This record gives sequence, structure tokens and C-alpha cells, in this order.
Amino acid sequence: MNSKKTLIVSHAPFWHDGSGIPERSYNTIIAALPAAFAGIAFYGAPALGVICMAMSTAIFWELLLNRAMRRPITVGDGNAALVGLLLAMLLPASTPWWVVLIGTFLAIVIGMQIFGGIGANPFNPVVLAIAILSLSYNHYLDFDSGLVNFALPFSSSMAPLATLKAFGPEAVANLNLMDLFMGKQVGALGSTSGLALTIGGIYLMLRGFIRWEISLSFIAGIYLTAMLFNMADPIRFAPPMLHLLTGYTLIAAFFLATESSSSPVNFLPMLLYGALGGIMTVLIRNIGAYVDGVIFAILLINLTNPLIDKIRPKAIGKVA
Amino acid sequence: MTSKKQLLFAYGLAIHLLLVGIICYAAFPVKAPHEPIRIMYQTTAGKVLFDHQTHTTASGYGASCFDCHHHPMDDESALIACSECHQAPAEDGSKPERCLDCHDESDIEDTQMISRPDAFHQGCTECHEQFEKGPQPGSENCSKCHVL
Repeated sequence: MNSKKTLIVSHAPFWHDGSGIPERSYNTIIAALPAAFAGIAFYGAPALGVICMAMSTAIFWELLLNRAMRRPITVGDGNAALVGLLLAMLLPASTPWWVVLIGTFLAIVIGMQIFGGIGANPFNPVVLAIAILSLSYNHYLDFDSGLVNFALPFSSSMAPLATLKAFGPEAVANLNLMDLFMGKQVGALGSTSGLALTIGGIYLMLRGFIRWEISLSFIAGIYLTAMLFNMADPIRFAPPMLHLLTGYTLIAAFFLATESSSSPVNFLPMLLYGALGGIMTVLIRNIGAYVDGVIFAILLINLTNPLIDKIRPKAIGKVA
Repeated sequence: MTSKKQLLFAYGLAIHLLLVGIICYAAFPVKAPHEPIRIMYQTTAGKVLFDHQTHTTASGYGASCFDCHHHPMDDESALIACSECHQAPAEDGSKPERCLDCHDESDIEDTQMISRPDAFHQGCTECHEQFEKGPQPGSENCSKCHVL
């Protein structure tokens, strides 16, 4: 029996608790900042340059589009700044300024504004921009090529997933999992520090800005699929913890897959959506052509979102 | 809709971050150090990442500069990158420009310069074979270094 109290709807005026899109955007930025700071600590001023350039140009692109399309100015909601920050966190610290500029254009204009702005984008704009950049400017998004001039205090001077793809699990067997979790690995400037990303993710889940169902099912999807591959052939396929702690895995689990307008809202669809993302990621990494499957896996699950969100509870009551 | 205060905050954020971004890009560009840390060779058989620092530092393999850089033999500060001399032969027969910095073209007329791939394959494999470490020579081992 449903509680009668929960079904009571009182008439206007309503009390607004003050929360809104700006609160959500700036809280997500705060949650992402520890991982971005870890990147600045490892890569220095160039990483700071990429982050600042991405956040500022994302705001400028949105402002420009708002004015060009004669729509209300929406940069005040902080979403453009968040998109810029997340985009920067997926790039290597060596990214040239013009690639950052193109990236924020792709995310804000192609990924979001042409669909009608925040809430109307079918794909995660950051992921879409990275997908286009990695296909168009592969050289600049290659961590091993880009970071050759950085003296990095890591045990391996090659990105773990690139090593895994090229030389097999044996070549990454000596990597220390705790080092990987602390961010001591070659990679994007804001997506390597698992500790900082997990803290940010837990903060967002506790505050209710992201849904735990998507994050945890994404992680479980990766772990279980990688474990099955590894059990089937440990010579060819890496152990699941390596997949969890390398590449874009954790930033995707907490910041990318959970993007609100491109992810489902019901319980079972969220679990399916996350798990499907995890499974696709490992499939692309293990038997696909790309080094890191996260980007294309998230685009694919974004595509399934409207379909799987049709699994929903029956409406209470009936039309007379 | 957002308030005017939130809008002004976003404008302020954009302008300040743009300034910091421009300063970072202008004042701290990513430059190749005098002695390379890592080198990514783009080859027709795929890219090859060579960890120069690990090969040269005492905590790494401790190789001396002259183990690989054999010219000039007497001056460590004058050593040059391999590819500056080891280039594919020019069609018009001219010598690499870097050679002409120190030599007259007539001095090196008869000198045979092997190409970069040959120089690397000889130099790298000789050492790896000697120490029986890392990638070993052999036509089945290309993918131990080359990444497509």
C-alpha cells in the first residue's frame, strides 16, 4: 500500500530550496578539481594552461552561440565551464592551444548547442568532442607521443593501455596497482589519479548530483568482463584491476557516463546502461582496434539511452 | 534562467582563466630538452618509443653517450642527434646539412652514410643482443619495438 502522504500535492505557491543547475555544475567542478590538481602536480604549468584554456574557451563558445542564435545567455549556469574542465582532463598536458580551442568548439557547439543546449544533447558533449579529436588529430591525443619531453617519476614511461595493446599483458605485469591508483601513470592530465577521481565521485554520489547505479554498474561491467577475458586466456588479456585503474575508466564512471541528459533515469535502465558501457569498454580494449574503449563505449550507450529508458514502472491509476 | 550575479561570475571566470591560459602557453611552452627524455620515432613500420633517459642514467642502463653517439668521438657537448647525419641519401647526392657545418663537401665525398633505419637496427640490436635484455633481433620480433 502506498503511503497517502507521498501522494499529496499541494497547490502553489511552492517554496524553492535554491538549488539549480549552477549549484550542480559548480559542485561537479569542485569534485573534479582534485584530479585536475593531481595533473597539474605531475605535468606543471602546461597542464594548467590546457585546463584554463579549455574552461575559458568553452564559456566563450557558449556565449557566442547564445548571441548568434538570439537565445538567453546560459553561461551563468556553469555548465560550459564544467564541459571545458572535463574536456581538458581527458587531454594530454602537451595539447596545443588550437586543439583545445577546436575541442571546446566541438563539445559546446556540435555536442550541445545545436541540439538546443543543456538537457537536449543526445551524446555526452565532452565524449563526442574527444572522439572527433582522437579521430582527426590522433597524434596530439597520443599520450606517448605527446609527453616525450616530460620527465615523469613513473615506473613505466609508456601509457599502460597502449603498452597492453602493443605488447600484451606481460609488458604491464610489473605495474604496481597502488601506483596506478595514485595516478603514477602516463595518461591524460586529469584522468590518471584514481584516488582523486574516486573521492570526487563519492562526493557527487553523496550529494545526489550523480546516480550511484550508473557509476557502480559501469565499474562492475568493466571488472566482470575483464575478469572473464582474463580467466579465459591470461596470456592475451590483462587482469581486471588493470582495466579499472588505467585509461579513462574512473573519470568515465564518475564524470562521463553519469552526464544527466544522455543517461537514463530509472533504476533498471541505469544499471543496464552502466553495465553495457563497462562491457563495451573491455570488448573494445581487448578485441577492438582502439587502445582505450571508453570513449566509443560511452557514445554507444548514449545511443541506447532513449531505448532502455522505456523500461519504467507502470503508471499508478488508469484513465477512466 | 540564471541570475546576473551568476552571469558576472561566469564572465569573470572566463576572462581570468583565459589570461592564465595564455600566460601558461606563452611563458611555459613544452620544449624539447637539450638531452632528450624520450623520443618517439615515426617510421613506416609503426612508431617506436625510445626511452633515452632510462638508457643513459645510472639508475637505468647506465650507457655512455659514446656507446651510441660515435661522432665526434672527443667532445660530449658537440654530440648530435642520430638522424641529423643518418638520413636517406639525397637524390642530388648532396650531404646532410649538419655535416657541412663542420666539413667541406669535398672532405666527405666518398663517405658512405647508412640510413637511419639501418643505423638504428644495427646499433640497437647489437647492444640488446650483447646484454640479452629487452627486444631481441629477428624478423618475428618487429612488434617488440614497432607499434602500429
